[in-house]
Amino acid sequence: MQYMLLINEDESIYEGEDGAKVMEATLAGHMKLIEELSQSGREWSGNRLKPGATATTIRYTAGEGTLHDGPYAETHEELGGYYIVDADDLDSAIEWARKIPVPGNGAVEVRPVWPEEE
Amino acid sequence: MTLGEQIAAARPRVIAALAVQFRDLDLAEDAFAESATKALQLPDPPDRLAGWLFVAAKRKALDMIRKREAEGRAIADAKPLSDMADIIQLPEPIEDERLRLIFICCHPALALEVRTALALKVICGLPVEVIARLFVTSQATMFQRITRAKRKVQEAGISFELPPRKAWGERLDAVLLTLELAYTAAYQDAAGELDAELSEEVARLAAMVAELLPDEPEVLGLAALVWLASSREKARIDSRGAMVPLSRQDCALWNYAAIDRARQWLDRAHNFGRTGPYQVMAAIQLTHARRGFDGTTDWQAIVKLYDALAIMRPGAMVSLNRSLALAKVEGVQAGLDALQSISGDRVENSRPFQVARAEFLTELGRLDEAKGALAKALSLDPPRAERLFLESKLAGLTAL
Repeated sequence: MQYMLLINEDESIYEGEDGAKVMEATLAGHMKLIEELSQSGREWSGNRLKPGATATTIRYTAGEGTLHDGPYAETHEELGGYYIVDADDLDSAIEWARKIPVPGNGAVEVRPVWPEEE
Repeated sequence: MTLGEQIAAARPRVIAALAVQFRDLDLAEDAFAESATKALQLPDPPDRLAGWLFVAAKRKALDMIRKREAEGRAIADAKPLSDMADIIQLPEPIEDERLRLIFICCHPALALEVRTALALKVICGLPVEVIARLFVTSQATMFQRITRAKRKVQEAGISFELPPRKAWGERLDAVLLTLELAYTAAYQDAAGELDAELSEEVARLAAMVAELLPDEPEVLGLAALVWLASSREKARIDSRGAMVPLSRQDCALWNYAAIDRARQWLDRAHNFGRTGPYQVMAAIQLTHARRGFDGTTDWQAIVKLYDALAIMRPGAMVSLNRSLALAKVEGVQAGLDALQSISGDRVENSRPFQVARAEFLTELGRLDEAKGALAKALSLDPPRAERLFLESKLAGLTAL
């Protein structure tokens, strides 16, 4: 079964004085996870996204779309990246999700991907 | 036991085996319901009822799967049938998969209330209307919540395997919290108005979990706690339907077999040397139960246990109960002082706080203030049994 792990984070932790250091440690955590994923022999993919400020949103009202500057959700936490992993069950997917480094405030959402054959 | 009761007793085991085999909670429940109906129609009940129910339900489940031809794949996934011949003569031994079913229904990926509802529905077979009553919601809403939970189990891929031992920490906590919510809703919030069907089922579920996890001291502690509460079921309401507080209960009405069972669980838990909040809460209740044996209550011990509980699980209700025990040891004024040192609007606007305050003030002879506290408690919408109790208390004070 495939699961998408959506990383929503408060980006401000990567700003300020220690920001670069925190980012470095977080990236190292991701590299470690990527290595583990690759070694697991299971299919996976993932990407890091540019900051929320670079987002453009088409917001729809009754099917009518207008462009907006910024991400769709007005929260402190932005979607910053994702992984798609192949796992036997939810528990295994959660186990992968827990390995994603989140140094500050945020949330990792674990969602099953709609299977192709259904 | 009537045949109906025997079927209910066999349910968790049979449902668990079906659920694990077919990886489908709905199918397990539907197939079980059909086999139970069939069993009730038999001229003579089968000897080995659980095995009979299992085989009959399994057949039914396979029929159902065949009917949903699109899902033919599930048949290939299911273990092959050993014998499709005569189910009455060949009951199959059923693997005990109840623990797996418990871990599925109590998975922390499901919201706490949903877990509790799902466990009571699937494992215990409690009707949706009873569960809806427990959570003070409509039958339709509860039905929808349970349906959604089952769908999540299926679609999010919650495992039907037993979690590996190393992953038990969080999973076991989820089971404990699920049971605790069932217990609180059935015994604590009821304030005397117990729903017999419900409380009995919660007690049975707690005993089952204790039986399946005999090496988990907190599980044993929680089972003991539930059974100590259930031991007082007959004593907690008087002939008028008013609540009787623990200290005024007629201990001749207590169920001593239940108390003894709780004591054994607690003794066993104690051997592991890993104490926890449920064990402490049960120990407090067991200390109260001693009154039934020698007429005494060791309030000093109870205060100490509340002190321990306040460290493990601090909270306003713990402090409140501690103040009641403290009053017995150090005097009413000390109790009142301790009570009033608990801060927060939510506490002050809770019934237990006002009732405790009224109790202390009455004993201190500050009757007008006591009446005020009782009136305040009555304004906070108590359940019927508690209302009757509070009203008679207030009437008693007014007559003085």
